[in-house]
Amino acid sequence: MLIFASGFLYWVLLTTLEKEDEHFLQSRVRVLEKILQEQPERTTILEREIAEENAGFAGQYRTYSRILSESGQIFYEVPGMNQEIPPAAFPDPNEQAGKTKKWQSATNRTYLLIATWSDDGATPQPRRQIQVALDETGEEVLIRKYERYLMGVLLAGILASAIIGIVTARRGMKPLADIAQAAERITASHMQERMDATQWPSELVLLAQAFDGMLDRLEDSFNRLSQFSADLAHELRTPINNLRGEAEVALSRPREAEEYREILASSLEEYSRLSHMTDNLLFLAKADAEQAGVTFLPLDAPAEIGKIITFYEAVAAEQNVRMVCEGDGTVNADPVLFRRAISNLLSNALCYTPSGGKITFSIHLINGKGTEIICSDTGSGIAQEHLSKIFDRFYRIKPSQAMQAEGAGLGLAIVKSIVSLHGGDITAQSVVGEGTSMRLFFPTKALSSPT
Amino acid sequence: MMRILVIEDERKTAAFLNKGLSESGFIVDTEGNGEEGLFLALSKDYDLIILDVMLPDRDGWSILSALRRAGKQMPVLFLTARDTVRDRVKGLESGADDYLIKPFAFSELLARVRILLRRAPIRHNESLQIADLEIEFERQKATRSGSRLDLTSKEFALLSLLMRRAGEILSRTMIAEQVWDINFDSDTNIIDVAIRRLRSKVDDPFEKKLIHTVRGVGYVFEDR
Repeated sequence: MLIFASGFLYWVLLTTLEKEDEHFLQSRVRVLEKILQEQPERTTILEREIAEENAGFAGQYRTYSRILSESGQIFYEVPGMNQEIPPAAFPDPNEQAGKTKKWQSATNRTYLLIATWSDDGATPQPRRQIQVALDETGEEVLIRKYERYLMGVLLAGILASAIIGIVTARRGMKPLADIAQAAERITASHMQERMDATQWPSELVLLAQAFDGMLDRLEDSFNRLSQFSADLAHELRTPINNLRGEAEVALSRPREAEEYREILASSLEEYSRLSHMTDNLLFLAKADAEQAGVTFLPLDAPAEIGKIITFYEAVAAEQNVRMVCEGDGTVNADPVLFRRAISNLLSNALCYTPSGGKITFSIHLINGKGTEIICSDTGSGIAQEHLSKIFDRFYRIKPSQAMQAEGAGLGLAIVKSIVSLHGGDITAQSVVGEGTSMRLFFPTKALSSPT
Repeated sequence: MMRILVIEDERKTAAFLNKGLSESGFIVDTEGNGEEGLFLALSKDYDLIILDVMLPDRDGWSILSALRRAGKQMPVLFLTARDTVRDRVKGLESGADDYLIKPFAFSELLARVRILLRRAPIRHNESLQIADLEIEFERQKATRSGSRLDLTSKEFALLSLLMRRAGEILSRTMIAEQVWDINFDSDTNIIDVAIRRLRSKVDDPFEKKLIHTVRGVGYVFEDR
């Protein structure tokens, strides 16, 4: 930009000067021509005119004029012109009449030369050749000087703009560099790094906030994952420990066949518990990766829930708990997954509902949006501090209940995964001593099932 | 005697399948290599093939399709650790007759093998009598020693299943599937409670017990 601008200015200056000089020379030629035409014999006027044009230029003439006869004989010239500019240096007036030409003299001065005939030969006066030279040396020096200044200014400009550019960019990029540095500092053991966007330019605050939000979520899932791994190891340790101990003790001395049978049967129970757990974990892992195939079908909600209630009839009868299903409607869900979710909910509710209690499923259609299923019990309720964590894997309200129920600690996590796979959500409300209600929402327009 | 070929590279799995199936009255060959297994399956006449999907040298699908191309129509039971729906579809589309997901209960496998071989001792009679217990399926009526048993409809269904399959050990998973149509991994403790309640009506008032627990496996109805 800078180069272009200065180049343009330089070009304008040069062409303007050149044009001006050309015009000057041409007007000189016209003046002399006129004198020659009007008063061909009165050379004194001519001489005066030529002498006058150099008035004020001491020693060094600015213009030189010469009049030649048709044969090339010098008629009149400014004194000393012959040494400085010989007639042959001028352009041929026959071919280039009125055209200017640049010429370097032996004394290393630059002249702009012009030559022309005094007339076209139509008038009776004898033809004369007019040669005029303009000393441009001064101008040349000026231009050289201008060039030097221009180059200087140009270089300084480029340098300055480069420095300003780098500094501005650095300053503008600083928040980004901060992000990069923060990102580099983040490792598995150091997840609490944040941007703190308060002093940032407004257009970057959003980025910083998004970045911090991402870190929050990452830290949360990371913590949950490591908690999950720790819990998993713990969950596996107990049955493996039992199996190993039993086998070791069994092999320590010879036993009756009945004893061996007893030990093997006990191991088998541990095995099926382990296999049940791996099944559930596998299901959760696949649901997380959204690989679990979901086949959406319009299901008759009361019929499906009724089926599960029938399944739990014996258990509920033993515990003296009543189970009812209210409301009507269809739910857009995968039949196997839906039954599994309802089954887990019911199993969980039965765990916390004492004798004489009641578990109610109620179905509500939410116009155009989906189906809501609320499972409420008259159980012991869940304290507020546990409520947000009950959907976490392996989360148990009472650590003592650890191994009694199969799949304990994963049931509600699976319900949540199932609801998420359907694009819905689950919330829990509870009053200690009164009961808990879980609200499941299944949207009508489900997320497209992954193929 | 029915002949079964087990193509399974996991040594211990192959060993317990061999032992369990042999003891259940089948002639069993096991093979850990896919190519060898296919060769055996093509050269001998087997009534059923149990095929692991993941074999080191060639997968179960290609063995199955090679078998079907060769015109072998014996039933094939797939064993798979991958239980994605896609695998199930692929398995059944490629001509497998059934599949089981690892880990599975042996009683489950045995039941499926019997069904595939159409040897399952399912009795489709109108009524059955085992010891002093008589059941009339159509009329939903069960009597023991002449007195009518007061059963709920699901209890009746459970007793019917046990009696139709008398002598056969039924896993909890299978009972949940057959009686309540629960085909997902559920809390199997529920079956224990249901059996306990059924026993309180069928067995508890009587000297002779007919419903027996096979610890860690399931339940069996038997006149011992």
